[in-house]
Amino acid sequence: MRMPTETTSVLPALAVIVPTAAAVVVFAVGRTGRYVKEAAALVGLAATVALSLGVAWQTVRGDVLVSFGRQLYADALSGLLVSVVSVVGLLAGVYSAKYMRHEVGASDPAGERRLNSYYGWTLLFVATMLWACLSNNIIMLYVAVEASTIASGLLVAFYWDRRALEAGYKYLMLLTVGITFSLFGCVLIYTAGANILGGPRGLLISDLRSVAGQFSAATVALASAFLIVGFGTKAGIAPFHPWLPDAHAEAPTPISALLSGVMLKVAAYALVRTISLFYPQFSPVALFALGLGMFTMILGDLMALAQDDLKRMLAYSSVSQMGYVLMGFGIGTQLGLYGGLFHLVNHAVGKALLFLAAGAIAYSTGARAISSLGGLARRMPVTSFCFFVGALALSGVPPFSGFQSKLTLLVAGADAGLWWAVVIGIAMSLITLVVLVKAARLVFWGEPRPDSPAVRAKEAPFSLCAVMVVLAVASLGIGLWPQALYRPLSAATASLQTVTGARKTFVAVEGRASGCTNGSWLVGSLYGSGGKQTVPVARR
Amino acid sequence: MSTISPSLIHTLSLMMIFTSFAAVEARNLRHATLAYMAQALLICCLLGAYASQNVALYYWAATALVTKAVLVPWFLWRSTEGSEEETKPVIGFGISAVLVIVLLATMYRFTHAHAGLFINIRGQTVALAETNLAVAFTVFALGLYGILTRRDAVKTVVGLCLLENGVHLSLVSLAPNLKETALAGIATEVVVTVYLLLYIIGGIREKVGTTDTFRLTELHW
Repeated sequence: MRMPTETTSVLPALAVIVPTAAAVVVFAVGRTGRYVKEAAALVGLAATVALSLGVAWQTVRGDVLVSFGRQLYADALSGLLVSVVSVVGLLAGVYSAKYMRHEVGASDPAGERRLNSYYGWTLLFVATMLWACLSNNIIMLYVAVEASTIASGLLVAFYWDRRALEAGYKYLMLLTVGITFSLFGCVLIYTAGANILGGPRGLLISDLRSVAGQFSAATVALASAFLIVGFGTKAGIAPFHPWLPDAHAEAPTPISALLSGVMLKVAAYALVRTISLFYPQFSPVALFALGLGMFTMILGDLMALAQDDLKRMLAYSSVSQMGYVLMGFGIGTQLGLYGGLFHLVNHAVGKALLFLAAGAIAYSTGARAISSLGGLARRMPVTSFCFFVGALALSGVPPFSGFQSKLTLLVAGADAGLWWAVVIGIAMSLITLVVLVKAARLVFWGEPRPDSPAVRAKEAPFSLCAVMVVLAVASLGIGLWPQALYRPLSAATASLQTVTGARKTFVAVEGRASGCTNGSWLVGSLYGSGGKQTVPVARR
Repeated sequence: MSTISPSLIHTLSLMMIFTSFAAVEARNLRHATLAYMAQALLICCLLGAYASQNVALYYWAATALVTKAVLVPWFLWRSTEGSEEETKPVIGFGISAVLVIVLLATMYRFTHAHAGLFINIRGQTVALAETNLAVAFTVFALGLYGILTRRDAVKTVVGLCLLENGVHLSLVSLAPNLKETALAGIATEVVVTVYLLLYIIGGIREKVGTTDTFRLTELHW
């Protein structure tokens, strides 16, 4: 395996600066023309996608890009995350153009002002998430994660009615309190690291990796607890999740897609980036994360079962799916980390798709209560198809993307001898299937009541459908051709492997890896695309 | 590098307990704001005292003066116009007084018994940091207590400000050599969060007619 080489590059810096500059443009001149704000936002988001994919392209090949004296640091894991954030951000932006004009009233001057604010904050939200994914400074990682909360606070309260204001208040208050705990964790790591490395190097996550093994067990336990509470709150990990269903349900739909699709992942990234420092020497940290992941999975699914509000049900489902991501990180083996990251990507695609489909339903019917809808499959065939794809994908049904990542996670659990986690994972996957397919059946099949808003529904506009179809195709494509993501995911896992190297090895296998055992067989057979591949092998 | 005066640090730290208690317990929101402002000035003095170890703390002291002692109190003051009296809290003065004594004693014991968990910087005056941390954790816990037990949304923001002050005070003890960029980032985001929270609370007052959080019952489970 090629050792990563650090290259100074403007790409990571530009990936943060461009959406920030676009936000400034929107705030400054967005009101001068009717479509100026949309144009500025979409150009900014498209440029950000190009830059992020540039970062991913280079980092997947093994390079590490650094900017601002290594304050920004992009390895393959960062490359994967910035790609997901920027692509979902662009799709949400495209969806917003039609959807938000419908929501605020296109001809209303006050609506135009609100739209200006919407696009400006959305761009800042994307920029701060990208900053978090690229930050190599452990304190600034906290600052960036908190900045993403600040940037999205007014977006959650955008509708400015009682429900939205209540959600916005809870969102800002609970997340700020929660994330403050992670600052304690970051500072504990910094002080312990600075004591060994000396001075400012103690701030750099890339340098802390080499010395984290020398920290005292008590410091590690305390720092991990603070980090799990802090970043876990933002990642929607139970029992720190109460803000999540309110915020995700009450925010405008494109923002719900961003919150659920990518913001939770950025927080999960911050969590795994920091606590994985301790994996090799302190396995109880991983076990604790695994237990919390299981609890999150169960609670999220059970709460989702009881919901009648479509967006709220999807929000609780996000809690559950974050449990799967945490399960992968908690298993801590190479295959577990691979599965966790794979599910992170799949959930970003699938949940963004489901929220946008729920938004399309609200656009056409003005309703989001499951019990008030029905029979939309004939009236909204594209939305119906996309919703079912998302529901089946997240339920882990083949051949959709969620099947591949959940199978990887379950095999990783079995490979590590964690059969109890595997059983819970399978059971919760079945409940997810019940939750999502039951909701889909009620909304799309049968006949609506005569007084139902679904009676007058018609298919959502082209731009909304186009975005949903792109995500549905991606979800199906990943399921049918998972090896497409093999290299970026493998490289991202290897970024964490530099931390966990003490427990794991990499072996080179030929093609379909028939001689390998357990997890490596799965990765080789599912994702190996022929030729010589570097495949991780978990060693218990 | 000049030395830090331990008695000065101890005095300033302990005064933070009194200002925290006053900020949580004052029923008049403007009095609570003034108590918070006094605490912010104490933090600025503490940062100035520690700056003999790290010049970057002068920048943080200046930032804290602008953000904590001027901007945040100003925002709080404006948000209380026309409704200065706090909604009656869940837990009253007597229990709070007992709690603060218990908290301080517990934190003092904890930090002195387990200093090694937190204090890693070489050459640090450990005894000084232990007391400072005990105070910081007490202020943090009082802030959390305020958020959990005060019904008035504006008062919960005061609690959040106290919680952040506790964190910042602990940063000075745990990581006195932190770079100014990190310090400025931490200090700045607090003021923006407070501004946005109070802006949303203003909307709640407008739509609901009160800032009583018990009346925020639209969203359940």
